[in-house]
Formats: sequence, C-alpha cells, structure tokens
Amino acid sequence: MSIARLVRWSARSLVSCLFITCASLAGTAAQAQSPAAEEELKIVYPVDVPSWDPTAVTFPAGQSVYKAVFDSPLFIDGDLKLQPSLIKSWKWADDKNTRLTVELRDGVTFHDGSKLTTEDFKYSFFDRPKKDKKLAINGFFGSLKDIEVSSPTEATMVFTTPTPTAPNYLGFLTSYILPKAYIERVGEDGFQANPIGAGPYKIVRYERGSRVILEAYDKYWGPKPAIKRVVFEFVPDASARVAMLESGRADVSVQIPLREVNRLAKNANLTAKIYPYSEIFILQMPSYVEAFQNEHVRRALHMAINKQAISKAFYGNVAKPISVLATPGSPGDVPGYEFKFDKKAAQEELAKAGYGPDKPLKIQFLSTNNAFPSDYEMARAIVQMWSQIGVQADLQEITLAKYLELSHSSKVPGVMLYSWANATGDPEIFAGKILDPRLRFSTWKEPALAKTIDDLAALSDPAKRFEGYQALARESTEHAWSLPLLQSVATIAYKKNLDVKVYQTAYILPAEYRWSK
Amino acid sequence: MLAALVSHFTRRLMVAVPTMLALSIVVFIVLRLLPADPLGMMLPPNATNAEVEALRHTMGLDRSLLVQYGIWLGQVLQGDLGRSISSGVPVTQLIAHTLPATLELSFVALFLALLISVPGGLLLYVLHDRRGELVADAALVLLISIPGFLWGIFLMLGFGVYWPVLPFSGRFSSDVVAAGPTGFVLVDFLLRGQFGHWLDALSHLILPATALALGFSPLIVRVLRASLLEVSHEQYVTVARLRGQPEWRVILRHMLRNAFLPTLTLIGVQFGFLFGGTLLIEMIFSFPGLGNMMVQAVRNHDLPLIQGISLVFCAVILLINASVDCLYAVIDPRLRTS
Repeated sequence: MSIARLVRWSARSLVSCLFITCASLAGTAAQAQSPAAEEELKIVYPVDVPSWDPTAVTFPAGQSVYKAVFDSPLFIDGDLKLQPSLIKSWKWADDKNTRLTVELRDGVTFHDGSKLTTEDFKYSFFDRPKKDKKLAINGFFGSLKDIEVSSPTEATMVFTTPTPTAPNYLGFLTSYILPKAYIERVGEDGFQANPIGAGPYKIVRYERGSRVILEAYDKYWGPKPAIKRVVFEFVPDASARVAMLESGRADVSVQIPLREVNRLAKNANLTAKIYPYSEIFILQMPSYVEAFQNEHVRRALHMAINKQAISKAFYGNVAKPISVLATPGSPGDVPGYEFKFDKKAAQEELAKAGYGPDKPLKIQFLSTNNAFPSDYEMARAIVQMWSQIGVQADLQEITLAKYLELSHSSKVPGVMLYSWANATGDPEIFAGKILDPRLRFSTWKEPALAKTIDDLAALSDPAKRFEGYQALARESTEHAWSLPLLQSVATIAYKKNLDVKVYQTAYILPAEYRWSK
Repeated sequence: MLAALVSHFTRRLMVAVPTMLALSIVVFIVLRLLPADPLGMMLPPNATNAEVEALRHTMGLDRSLLVQYGIWLGQVLQGDLGRSISSGVPVTQLIAHTLPATLELSFVALFLALLISVPGGLLLYVLHDRRGELVADAALVLLISIPGFLWGIFLMLGFGVYWPVLPFSGRFSSDVVAAGPTGFVLVDFLLRGQFGHWLDALSHLILPATALALGFSPLIVRVLRASLLEVSHEQYVTVARLRGQPEWRVILRHMLRNAFLPTLTLIGVQFGFLFGGTLLIEMIFSFPGLGNMMVQAVRNHDLPLIQGISLVFCAVILLINASVDCLYAVIDPRLRTS
C-alpha cells in the first residue's frame, strides 16, 4: 500500500510534466501545421550576416541577404553578364580606362523615402572607404582616386591606373550604395542597429543569430516583388535546414548536404537541385613551404588527382573537372586544354624530386569541414590518391577564418583545399587574384607575376585581356602554382508550388520568386 | 538567517574573483599564442603593410602580452569587452542580447531534469532488490550513454518532422515580437500578459530543453537513488518507521530531504556541463543564445568575442556554485548554525 502511494506520487509528478508539454503542444500545434501564407516566404539560410554594413565585409555567403535589402550599382545576371541596376548606363570617358562615367537611375529612394543620388554613390565608394581603411570595399577599388559628381544622377569615377574591369566590381561583393544623409544622422552604430538600403525589401525586424524579417518596399524602383514578406531564418545545422523544409516550416532551404538532395528530390511536394556555379575548388600551394618549391612535387600532386572520380563520388558528376583557374566556358577558360589524371606519370614526376614508395613525401594538407559541400570528404579522397604515388599527407581540419588569418600572415603550413568565389566570372578575379603575390590571401608568392598581372589588368581590349589571362592560367597549371580541381556546386530545395530561378552566382533572390497558382 | 546567507554568498563570490582572474589570463594568453593574426580578418586583402602596422598599433597589438592584458583587463573592469571583429558590434551588447536566452534554456532544462529525475530516483529506490531493478538499471545506463545532442536530433526528427507538433528553430515564431525589461522571454511575456506568446516561447524551449534534460537527469537519478539507499539505514528513518509512519511518508518527509543534499552538490557541479552543453544544442536548434554565438565566434576567430563569452561562462558557473552553496544552508539547518 505504502509503495503504491509512492508510485502514485511519482506518477503524478510525471503527469504534471506531461501536462505542461501538452499545454504547449495544444497552443502551437495548429500553428506548426498551418500552411505558409502565399504572401510569405520562409528561407532557411546557413549563416547570419556578420554586419549590416555590406561594404565592410567580404562575405560571399551573406550576399543573398544583402541583395534583398541593399542594391548594387550593377547587377550580374544568371549568365554572369553585367546588367544595369542603380546605374542606368556606364561608359569609359577615356581610352586608357581611367575615367568611368556612370549615370544613376533617377527616382530611386532609400527605405526612409530619401532620394538616392550620386552623393550617396561617392560617399559609399570613395569618402567613407578613404576614412575607414578597414572597410572591405577598399580591397576592390584600391585604385580609385576620386569620384567627380556632375549632377545628382551623373558622376565619373577616376582611377590612378587603367581599370577596365571596374564595372565588374560595381556588381560584385561589397558594392552597394548606402544612404549618406541617414548614416551621418544616426551614426555608424545607429545604421548597424537600423539599416536601410535601396533594395527590394526593407527590414521589419532583425533578431541577431536567429532571423531577419523583410517586407517588400512599395517604392522600389524595379519590378515589385511578388512575395510581400520574406523571412530568412538562420539555421547553421544542415540537418535542421532539411528538417525544416520537410516538416513544412520553411519554403526554401539552401546549402543542404548533397546526399539529402537526391532523397528530397523524390518527395512529391519538393523540388531539389544541384547546380554548378561560379566558384572553383582549388588547391592552394604555399610557395614559402620548402616541399612545394619543387615543381616536380607540385605537378605530381596534380597528376595524381582523379577529378572525374571525385565528381562522381561526391557531386553526382554535376561538378565539372577543371584544368585551369576558371569555370568552364567563362572568359578565362582555355578551350581544348586538359590536364590529365595520370598516376604513372605522377610517380615519375615524384621520383624526379627524389621521392617514392621507399622515401615518401610528407606534407600537411588543410581542409575546411562543411564550409563547402563535401569539402572534407573530397580532401580525404585526395589523401588516398596521393598515398598511391608515395605522398603521406597529414590532413588537418581548419576553419575558414583561421585559414584566412594564416594566409594573410603567410603562414599556411601546407596545401589548402579552398573554394574560390567569383560571381563576375571575369578571369581577373580568378587567375589575376589567386596568383597576385602582393595580395595577402595569395599563397603562391612569385614576385614576377605582379607585373604580368598589372599588364593584363590594364588591357582595355577585352579579347586581348581574356587571351592573356588564359595564357597565365595555363602557365599556372603547367607549373602547378595552384591546382584547379572542380567547378563548385550549390544545392537548393524548395516547395513544388514555388517558382525559383537559380543563378550561376548562387544568389538567392526572393524578389524574383513567386508562388504558382 | 538572511544576513548570514548574504554574508556567505558574498564570501563565496570573493573567493571566485581569483578564479575569474586566472581564467581571464589563460584565455587571453592561449588565444594570442595561436599561430594566426587577428588583423588578417580586419583589413581588406590589398591593405598595405603600413596600414596593417597602423591598425596593429591602434589596437595595441604591437605591445608586450602583459601590457596588452593590462589594457584589456582595465577595459573589462569598466564593462568594456571590446568590439566583435566580425560584426563590429560591442561584445557586451552581443552578450547582453544572448545570455538571457541561454540562461532561460538552461533553467528550463534544469527544471525538466528535476521533474524527470526526482520521481525517477524514487522509483529506482523503490525497485531496489525487486524484479524490475535490472530493467530500470539497464534503461538508466542506456539513457546515460546517449549524449544530449543526439537526443536533440531524435527529438527534432520525432516531434518536429515525423509528428510535427513542436517547433525546433529559434526562440519564438517570426510573428512574435519580443520586447521586455529582462530579456527572459518567458518572464517578459508573462509580465505583459501575452499568454499566447508565452506558450509560443515555451513550445520553442521544450525540445532543446528536453534534449539537455535527458542528458542531465540520469546522473541525478543515480545519485538520488544512492543517497536514498544510504539514508534508509539512518537512525531517524528507523525511528520514523517504528513510530508506525507509512513508508511513503518516511521516504518523502524524512529521507528525500536529507538524500537531496548530495544531489544538490551534483546539480551545482553538473550545471556547468549543462550550461556548456547548450553550445551544441543551441546550434542544432538554431537557438540564438550564447552557445551558438560562441560557435560562430570560434569559426570566425573573433578573439574579443571568444574572450568575452568565456568570461561570462565562467562568471555564470561560479555564480551558480555560490548559489548552490547557499542553498545547502537553506535546506540543512545544521549548516546554517555552523
């Protein structure tokens, strides 16, 4: 009897616990199962933006969020072609490509209703970056000497050196026009707390690390977004992103694991895609590490990698193997050129460097884990391929931030698997940046390449410029200064009744999405 | 009694100060010994060496470690933990925004853990030397073997995907606006009389808190059962039984209170692990708390933020330990008089 009472007491406690759970279940069950309103779109996104100043950080992963709120002067479309945006037209005012005249669209307003003019353009691209050297935009417009304002809609960008690729940068990372008067009125911290832009959506509420809620800006200069309310939910865990889509709590999920894409594609209510975009997987070679100063070693490492097998194993053959530092079909690509996988030739190259099965080459190999789709898995496969020719690679996991720090201080201890983003597709931002020894993120520090790159950058004839970069990219592969592997792939899954356009830039642009009838 | 408790609490806090200082030194030095340059993340790639050196000087990074530590400590004592490298936002502001979320999650998890483990401990005691003991022990071992984050995934799949009755992302729904004096949404919504929002916030807490609680409660169950077995042979228990009191009353009135002291010690010590466990759980459930922010800070090598969060983690754990010490005195009158 006494024990029975005790058991009853225990049971009552457990029941009270269950009651609390049930009460909350009852309160939320209906909400959890309700279908998403057609006026709303919920996107589960892997990262929050580090800062609401889009000119302060080089953050490719956050561009989709920035592009919803802010607007860039030019727009890079799905085929990586430059299209007018806030800048209506642009032309070089001289033959040397040092003076670029731009005409801004008239009647564009920021989210506070104030008019966007060339003063805002000058402030965002010249005045503010000159004052604050930490702003990442300085890295893209370093040769900008001045911006001459002729009228509220016309201005001329003046460069110290020929800069024919300047228009490309006006549609690339960090290029956004910010509201001068507003920032000067509320201060930098005030702007971070309540950011406004001239993009298709304005911020309704931002909960750091959790979500940003956006509402269509009714005075947006371009086509009005079909979906009025967009929520970017920041969900860092990939499994959770998949679960949210499957359970109907989200409408779009990006950067989902490749193995999940095939599974989700079988779901009758969802569409799932793997698509190549304008990034490339490369192996960065630190020239300051002794082992990699031997060209035979570098070439052997390259020859031993079976890129097609990696693509098949990890990317369903969607990621195309590349032989130069450019995406296939882009202006920097070398048609017909192929660097072939050849294990035997790799062993011979390694033998020329004095290494082989009896005297294995020991190197360090760095890779991120989950920063890019299947990055660590690819690195492990490469380690196995290298081991077959007598290379012992010590694979170490590293964060992207740590790699960048090591790279910026020229302390990368080994080969690094890296995904190089270039939403413009221009070869200057592939070979021209990867191989520029003066840049703090380059690892191949060949001083002579600086002049080659400067000469190429100054060529105003696009055909000659592309030809020059193709030759440089080919030379890089032949000497194995940086090893091109595959074109990167992006993944997306969304509800079947949503019209989604995917871009080669991999940007998620909800302003262009719509619910189908 | 209150004065004695306050005095005891203050003494415990004073003892915690050297611990905090030692931890701050360890964190500061270890982070600076890493083979990486924080300036790498702060300047654009084409920054000149002169610009790098200028910023290094501005930040005091060209001075000795001791001087750097002194400057940093001086700022910390004035409540300034610096600015986050990745966002540029003051670290104190970021922590003030996320700490209540993590504390709320931890306390709800603790509450759930007690709801599970006190009846569980009693049940296991009752089953001692009975047929069901073996099965109950096996179940307990199984529960102990499953880490909190795995519970998180099970719960998310179970109650979030296959039977989608509970939310598993964020702190509350996107149509709910949180604004209140404390930052603890359960408290703020109650204060504002928004019971619908309160339920919404509670429902968002249930899965992550249960995941934490399920990882935490088996330990409490074990210690409580062991303590109950120990006190069951005490004289006062025998006397109570001889006086003809029913067994359930002996257990609940006499044994449980005394057996709870070692359990309280365990809770105090293990709360640090529970608090630390929020790192993974917050990540899985996209819960915007201190743990999630710490993971992002480590990924971004955001030194000021890592230092700030480490200090706060340490301070919270020391504060909890001091509070548990005071609770002993409340529960056990002998400690009060001593």
